[in-house]
Amino acid sequence: MAFKLSEEFKTKAEKLCAKYPRRDAALIPLLHELQKEAGYVAEEGMDALALFLELPYSRVKAVATFYTMFNREPAGKYHLQVCRNISCHMAGAEGLLERLRAALGIAEGETTKDGLFTLSAVECLGACGSAPVMQVNDDYFENLTGEKLDVILEELKHGKYPSQK
Amino acid sequence: MPKLTIDGKNIEVAKGTTLLEAAQQLGIYIPRYCYHPKLSVSGSCRMCLVEVERGPKLVTACSTEAADGMAVLTASDKVMAARRDVLEFLLINHPLDCPICDQAGECGLQDYYMKYSLRKSRFSQEDKVLRQKRRAAGPRLMLDNERCILCTRCVRFCSEVTKTFELEVMERSDHSFIDLKEGKALDNDYSLNIADLCPVGAFTSRDFRFKQRVWFLKKTPTICLGCATGCKIEAHHNENTIYRLAPRPNSETNTWLCDHGRLSYKAVQAGDRLAKGVIKNGLIDLEPALREAATRIDEAKGAVAVLGSPWLSVEDNAALARLAKDAIKTESYCFDLTAEQGIKDGILINKDPAPNTSGVKLVKEALGGISLEELVRRIAAGQFKVVLTEARAALLIKDALKTSGPRLIVFACAKSEIPAGAYATFPYATYFETPGTFVNYQGLRRRTEAPVEAPEGVKPLWALVNKLAAYSGAGLRLDSAEDALKEIIFK
Repeated sequence: MAFKLSEEFKTKAEKLCAKYPRRDAALIPLLHELQKEAGYVAEEGMDALALFLELPYSRVKAVATFYTMFNREPAGKYHLQVCRNISCHMAGAEGLLERLRAALGIAEGETTKDGLFTLSAVECLGACGSAPVMQVNDDYFENLTGEKLDVILEELKHGKYPSQK
Repeated sequence: MPKLTIDGKNIEVAKGTTLLEAAQQLGIYIPRYCYHPKLSVSGSCRMCLVEVERGPKLVTACSTEAADGMAVLTASDKVMAARRDVLEFLLINHPLDCPICDQAGECGLQDYYMKYSLRKSRFSQEDKVLRQKRRAAGPRLMLDNERCILCTRCVRFCSEVTKTFELEVMERSDHSFIDLKEGKALDNDYSLNIADLCPVGAFTSRDFRFKQRVWFLKKTPTICLGCATGCKIEAHHNENTIYRLAPRPNSETNTWLCDHGRLSYKAVQAGDRLAKGVIKNGLIDLEPALREAATRIDEAKGAVAVLGSPWLSVEDNAALARLAKDAIKTESYCFDLTAEQGIKDGILINKDPAPNTSGVKLVKEALGGISLEELVRRIAAGQFKVVLTEARAALLIKDALKTSGPRLIVFACAKSEIPAGAYATFPYATYFETPGTFVNYQGLRRRTEAPVEAPEGVKPLWALVNKLAAYSGAGLRLDSAEDALKEIIFK
């Protein structure tokens, strides 16, 4: 079945477009909207969005793939996003990723079988002052160490949302 | 009008001129990958970094506007060091494909490495980021993402020139690559230009792939005869075989060349090229075939019609007109051909698929003749025993020929061109094998040069006409194509 943008989405999108001098400027906010609806941005969604914004599909895809905050597949309940840019990298992000890979048994871009965790390495989260940083869904966990990470993971596994300190 | 100095030389340029263009005006070459004179500025490759005195850091010459009082250095130690470093970056992930890469010999990376770097890589083969190797990106192009340096010339070409927007840079940083929509093909009328534009071997022509090493190719400037636009081109050939055609960018007609034009050289080497005469359906040697045709023309005693062709050069058309007027002495000859002309797609392809409609008009103006309608009327009325023309032009009078059924004598390059029911066919040399003058839709006079020789026994059309005239009684004494041009006035 062909993917269709919902009427509700379209109304919201028209309002967003009206905020900008050019229609295509609403591309990123609209990709966010799409992601909010389905949890990820599907190929068909990009296609429909391209038609809606009168943009070539390739442009939409280029933007969606440039930013790591757009998921291209459904993510697990908790989306663990570890920053791998320079500050975090030097503060030990690589070790954190390694630890998560071992603990969850998955590589970056994969989801655990129980659908609980998705692991991603992402670009700068803009919190270099408290590196290394991991974003879980919409929340930041900063100044991480291996031990802190283990605690967060344990709590998440048991359905308890950890405090962000 | 900003005045500046580049490497100590003074220059005054128009406002808006970039440093790269200003340097070019002084004959100073600045290396570049992403810059292309006919595409928008991207500034992504960093190869054109130059030093501006008192500037805090190096600037990209392609995107920096010349300003009054600037003192630019294009070969200072700082600039040379930057070029080496940029090349080192560009080459980090570049595969060592050169021995099997078609681009080798005309590759931007090879050329600049030899000129500006010559440094050993500090990165080991194992550290290279691997990307997708060759795959067909479209019917005429191969894409090898591993060789790509992400200059985005191809992306800009598709969005600015053809406006088809197929290509984009996907992902980011060292895992970014050029791609198009899954399941879609890079198939526009100008796609092969991308193989030319690509400074490295990422996009290569599927037609040219592995056919020839580029350093063996000789280049002959000539004209594309794919339509009435008459683009200036260059034939790349070796040992009497053409391997590819490329545009010769010029301000009058073309920067690019369409795919149809690029592949038009195939007709020269086609398997069904005629090398002998054809009488009815049997191949016979040229001389007896010409004698046979001359006899038929003599027998007709003036009941002969001759039709010019927009596919033939001015010389060959003029030779045909003389044959009618001075040798056969018929007044039923027609060089009055018209076609709707003009650029069809806003880029290069012309509404008129024939290359020389305007040239045929010059023959008519000089040597006269009747109109096409009149010729068709006379043929349909059965006034002729013999009709002489070029194979593709015969289609113009197809219906009239059917009703009256005269003997049709045509000139053709390939078997597939021969119209149904032709009595005799003579092979002639294509304009890749003999020079010819053409007039394009703008009225510009252009001459093809012959990069290769015709197959044995195949002669230029004017020479065949000359022989035909000699055999049927009244010689034309054409010793060269130029002899036929007497009286023709070019504007």
